[in-house]
Amino acid sequence: MTENPSDSELLGDIYEDQALPSTPALDEETPFATMMSSFDEAAQTVGVEPAEYQILRKCDREIAFSVPVRHDDGSMEVLDGFRIQHNAGLGPFLGPLRISSDMRIVELRALAAWMTWKCAVLNVPFGGAAGGLRFDPRAHSSGELERAVRRYTANLLTDIGPERDVFMPDVGSDEQTMAWVLDTVSSHARVTENAAVTGKPTEMGGTKGHKDAVAQGLRVILRLGVDRFDLPPKGMSVIIQGAGTVGGHLARILAADGYRVCGISDVHGGFFHADGLDIETILAWRAEHGSMRDCPGDFERITNRELLTRPCEVLIPCATANAIHSKVAAEVQCKLIVEGAHGPVSSRADKVLEERGISVVPDILANGGGVVMSYFEWVQNRMGYAWIMPVIEKRLRRFMAEGWNSVTKTQEQYGVGMRQAASILAVKRVSTADELRGIYA
Amino acid sequence: MSDGTKTQPANANRDEFNPFHSMEHQFGLAADLLGLDKGTRDVLRQPDRELTVTLPILKDAGNIEVFTGFRVQHNFSRGPCKGGIRFAPGVNLDEIRALAAWMTWKCSVVDIPFGGGKGGVICDPRELSQGELERLTRRYTVAIMDILGPDRDVPAPDMNTNEQTMAWIMDTYSMHVRRTTTAVVTGKPIAIGGSKGRREATGRGVMIVCREAMKKLGRTPEDTRVVVQGCGNVGGIGALLLHREGYKVVSVSDMYGALYNPDGLDMPAVMDYLREKGRLEGYEGADSIENEGQLELPCELLIPAATENQITSGNAERIQAQLVVEGANGPTTPRGQEILDSRGVMVVPDILANAGGVTVSYFEWVQDRMGYFWTEEIVNSRLEQVMVKSFQSVVKMAELHNVNLRTGAYLVAIDRVALVYRMRGVFA
Repeated sequence: MTENPSDSELLGDIYEDQALPSTPALDEETPFATMMSSFDEAAQTVGVEPAEYQILRKCDREIAFSVPVRHDDGSMEVLDGFRIQHNAGLGPFLGPLRISSDMRIVELRALAAWMTWKCAVLNVPFGGAAGGLRFDPRAHSSGELERAVRRYTANLLTDIGPERDVFMPDVGSDEQTMAWVLDTVSSHARVTENAAVTGKPTEMGGTKGHKDAVAQGLRVILRLGVDRFDLPPKGMSVIIQGAGTVGGHLARILAADGYRVCGISDVHGGFFHADGLDIETILAWRAEHGSMRDCPGDFERITNRELLTRPCEVLIPCATANAIHSKVAAEVQCKLIVEGAHGPVSSRADKVLEERGISVVPDILANGGGVVMSYFEWVQNRMGYAWIMPVIEKRLRRFMAEGWNSVTKTQEQYGVGMRQAASILAVKRVSTADELRGIYA
Repeated sequence: MSDGTKTQPANANRDEFNPFHSMEHQFGLAADLLGLDKGTRDVLRQPDRELTVTLPILKDAGNIEVFTGFRVQHNFSRGPCKGGIRFAPGVNLDEIRALAAWMTWKCSVVDIPFGGGKGGVICDPRELSQGELERLTRRYTVAIMDILGPDRDVPAPDMNTNEQTMAWIMDTYSMHVRRTTTAVVTGKPIAIGGSKGRREATGRGVMIVCREAMKKLGRTPEDTRVVVQGCGNVGGIGALLLHREGYKVVSVSDMYGALYNPDGLDMPAVMDYLREKGRLEGYEGADSIENEGQLELPCELLIPAATENQITSGNAERIQAQLVVEGANGPTTPRGQEILDSRGVMVVPDILANAGGVTVSYFEWVQDRMGYFWTEEIVNSRLEQVMVKSFQSVVKMAELHNVNLRTGAYLVAIDRVALVYRMRGVFA
């Protein structure tokens, strides 16, 4: 994890960036139910008491409130704010703060539960949450955004904090947003509460290595995959869909590691060359022009869909949900798929891939580097002591490897695919904690 | 130390068998040697705070039964109080008071930043359903809540309480303060903030202390025969680890009887057998003998790890070991100690020898406070550092004052608490 250029340099306008986390693979109407279905199955496999599992089927707490904001021109608008807290069995809640004009509560529910599973698989002591502010940050001034974020935070003061609920950035929020939240919480509490948010600027308690944490986690997963899936340890060919926070960083890291990055894409389309691409040049062009489009070079210019079906050893979708649907799944030419994005493989595609004998490393394990890094930031804030980069790298490797090992062990134990194994592991860990704590009355 | 053997001491003398009297006696001895002034002595002799609570519990049958609980905080000058919670019919304030003081000295000997506390509820857990136990635990937690907390008082398991009890306390406390507070108790399940290596900690600490003492006596593990009384978390794990270090464990026991094999027991096999059958009796690789007389078997190292008052005026003459390491609390009576002293037997006292448990409890609290959890290797290596260092400071203190290790340990412990008390001054 070397010092990388800042997100904005690298990515241009982040709102065009598909690589930012989006809602998991979802049914438009009931995203929560859809997301939960695989966990329902897992709960059945593990034999969790139906009563016990009912706790996991519902969110612990949903808070909806209004956020009045004064515009720069003196007019006032009342925004909708939400914070969904799914399950606190394993520890305080941790979850994103999403700021977007088309944000829906059902999506937040799904996202909150998804965070619970992810934290459980990676064995970090948090439950899942998700928050949202219905607001279009691009259509407003920075002052308006700041006032909205501070008021949103103030309305939640009794429910958030280092041991209650911890924020991390998401669509529409960033380091600056986290700094405002931190300042609002701390000013009210009259003590510095920098562990209340993660993804802060390093100047005020943010951890080193946060920017490319998801990509670094994926890199660990790929290394672990070499033995398991009999992949070449040197010069492995990979295709990466997406060139943003996840895909872009990952491409750069893998190219530097000596992988053959044969394909990469952004929202406008992809490039492919069987012998590998010059990633540095392409990303530099993208940073300068805001898009990869028109980048000169000796490669095929293809669509995103075509990119996914080109031959390679490992395919890493780091862009949108459901990018690999059943039709694409029938055509992919890879040995292994590693989910860098949330839910890039649809559930029907999963079945097709299974029949074709192509393994998928599921999102809740593969892209967990971000959650692990948020956890590290929280730990460092609690101690008041910042770790150096080699320590962070080593510990991230350990957490990813332990997650991987637990998932593969569960897989052997139950004779299921990797995705199902990850779900089983998550359900087991959360329900064990719930059971131990018992029902408080 | 609820499991294990109980040898009925011969020619019982009531005063000899009150472990709290013996602690009082030790305290006085050490305080004299330290030249402690009367004021400080009085402060350290009395608990800082005692709380008695009434606990109405709804029984499964629908009736209400009222229980009584206690929490005693002996001394918090060195840090928050630390000590177990026991559920037993015989619990009484005197006992809890003495045990709380004991914890103060124990925490101080191993130099962890805690004072001593102890709690208990008068009840017979065998007559309570799981649901009743849970309600009792939760109500007790709420009743003592004002004096509880990671920076106030941190309970741990004791007689008839376990990981599950700690999980309930953690949950109740967290729900009341409306934030996850894992550091409010130790001895929790690993899934909700427990520490790796805690279960084995006391046994491991005993092993480390044995090793250090044997080094001092100039014996190698290979030519050291070990007799262990008890086969639970302390004795069993201690014996297993000593076996692994190359010691020849010739005898272990449980409450039904003892095993003896002069050529050494295959400890992993013994432990497997015990796990499977629930008792040692019938294990084929050794002779089964009566508990009576086990402590007098020929050996170099004797580890009483079962219960109090095992080495007494009645049998101390016949103990053949060169070294006694107290895995249990109070296994040697003051008379027993005198006899061992006169015969030149080294005794590593309980407050040092079995402090591995509270040390890893401390590690659990530290890990919970940062929210980051150590690997088992790290826990074990840090435990080793603490035990070795504590052993050395006790030996040094004993040599300085030319006293036995027990008095040495009390000197170290009381000196540390008194120093902190003087530095902090009397709060007004």
